[in-house]
Amino acid sequence: MALLSLRNCTIRFGGLVAVSKLTLDIESDDLLGLIGPNGAGKTTMFNMITGVYRPTSGEILFDGSSIVGMKPYHVARLGIARTFQNIRLFPSLTVYETVQAALQKSISYGFAQAAVQMKYLHHQERIIHDTIIEILDFFNLTRVKDEMAVSLPYGFQRRVEIVRALAARPRLLLLDEPAAGMNPSEKAALMELIASIREHYQSAVFLIEHDMRVVMGICKRVSVIDYGVKIAEGTPQEIQNNPRVIEAYLGEKV
Amino acid sequence: MKRHLSKLYLLGALIAAGILSLFESSISPYYYQIIIYIGINIILASSLNIINGFAGQFSLGHAGFMAIGAYTSAVITFSAHAQPGTVTGYAVFTGALLAAGLVASFFGLLVGIPSLRLKGDYLAITTLGLGEIIRVIIQNLDFLGAARGFTGIAKMSNFFWVYGVVAVVIVLIWNLIHSTYGKGFLAVRDDEIAAEAIGINATHYKVVAFVTGAFFAGIAGGLYAHFVTYINPSQFGFLRSFEIVVMVVVGGMGSIVGVILAVVILTILPEALRAIAQYRMIIYALLLIVIMLSRPQGLFGGGINVKRSFRKAPTGT
Repeated sequence: MALLSLRNCTIRFGGLVAVSKLTLDIESDDLLGLIGPNGAGKTTMFNMITGVYRPTSGEILFDGSSIVGMKPYHVARLGIARTFQNIRLFPSLTVYETVQAALQKSISYGFAQAAVQMKYLHHQERIIHDTIIEILDFFNLTRVKDEMAVSLPYGFQRRVEIVRALAARPRLLLLDEPAAGMNPSEKAALMELIASIREHYQSAVFLIEHDMRVVMGICKRVSVIDYGVKIAEGTPQEIQNNPRVIEAYLGEKV
Repeated sequence: MKRHLSKLYLLGALIAAGILSLFESSISPYYYQIIIYIGINIILASSLNIINGFAGQFSLGHAGFMAIGAYTSAVITFSAHAQPGTVTGYAVFTGALLAAGLVASFFGLLVGIPSLRLKGDYLAITTLGLGEIIRVIIQNLDFLGAARGFTGIAKMSNFFWVYGVVAVVIVLIWNLIHSTYGKGFLAVRDDEIAAEAIGINATHYKVVAFVTGAFFAGIAGGLYAHFVTYINPSQFGFLRSFEIVVMVVVGGMGSIVGVILAVVILTILPEALRAIAQYRMIIYALLLIVIMLSRPQGLFGGGINVKRSFRKAPTGT
């Protein structure tokens, strides 16, 4: 059974149909790319999956049960994490604290225990500390752990955002244009990073990307949408030769 | 090891407050009053700091919570005929302070609910309105003395009570902010959408901030009422709310130490300037302008720029 499946999802903003009758399946070991022209509804789809928008009609099943109408934090807790097209880091938190904030799911104490510092809180906080250090080590961020996340170079900020999303060990990771604004060497590092995420974290990855070298280089499957409608889906090879995709998005070879 | 220090500090502060309160008769009443006001203001400003500084919800109605606490506790000790200096008297006072906090936090919950839908300037205006509503309602309740005020409150608050609560508030906020749970407040303040995307329930944090902030404002109100022994609605007007906001902003939103420092400076300053009588409020105001121009993040601000947070607030999504 698919990890995430969208069934006939439509989302309408007034008279505008942003996503129309979209059906899509993501397997638990998938690396699916989503491409399409600007304004095709790609980010809207992400917002719909993560609960920011509610689909006007249709169904979204995660692990077999419906997540339509759930609040974003609830969806995130179920195991769907995301990054944003325009990086959204916490301006007043360090890299360490950013990851710490993302580990909310793994604490079982609440306000009162935090306020009076009960014994079992220390135990949990120690585990969280170890987890943070381990994650930062894995992503080569230990050196900058006490820097403000927003003060880092662009490529690092993207990386921190991905790490924040991965910290709670999601089963599905949504990446919204992770390579945007990166130089070629940063892009190469990003592709390696995504590959290592799948190996180490065993989470499915669903990514929006305009850089065809990145999409065709790492995705197992690619989905193409235009005006909110899915026009093609298949392996990178099939997509590159699909006449409809070439017409709508890729363009003719010169 | 570091974690256990907070409890030691708390114990130390309570003992110090107890010992110092033995000497209170040897301090001149004028200075004693200023010291007490500083303590009460620290509680007010620190509790507002939870809402404004840590959770990032701009609230302008803190005096309303303080009023509720002041009147609740006054009614309790008055109708129980609590006498200072007796064990039962102080037992009633303790209960009255707790009740003051609880009733105020209930109103904090009521105010917290609109905060789930409003942001920035809009929330500030709403909380301002709610604070005024509380004051006007009290002004029209005859059993609370209406506009004449509530007289004959026992003088229960002293150095020990006030600074005991100060110690508790500071340790509590410190613990909260340094826990993983507490990072949720900061995440919600910085970017609500990103916070939700990593599983942080923004609603929960906003409501908790309002309820906790109002709880301690209520207790501060109770301590205040039992120090001045006479309260009336005009003591809890918009200007009082505004004063507390100024202390938080000058100290640095989200900075525990900065807010305490700002409270001390801003409580002493008007008194110290008494010598030049009619110019003192001009100097006070000028100082605020200079601080805001040169340090918009406050004296000890941890990178939260007031101007910036206002600019980005209304855009929401």
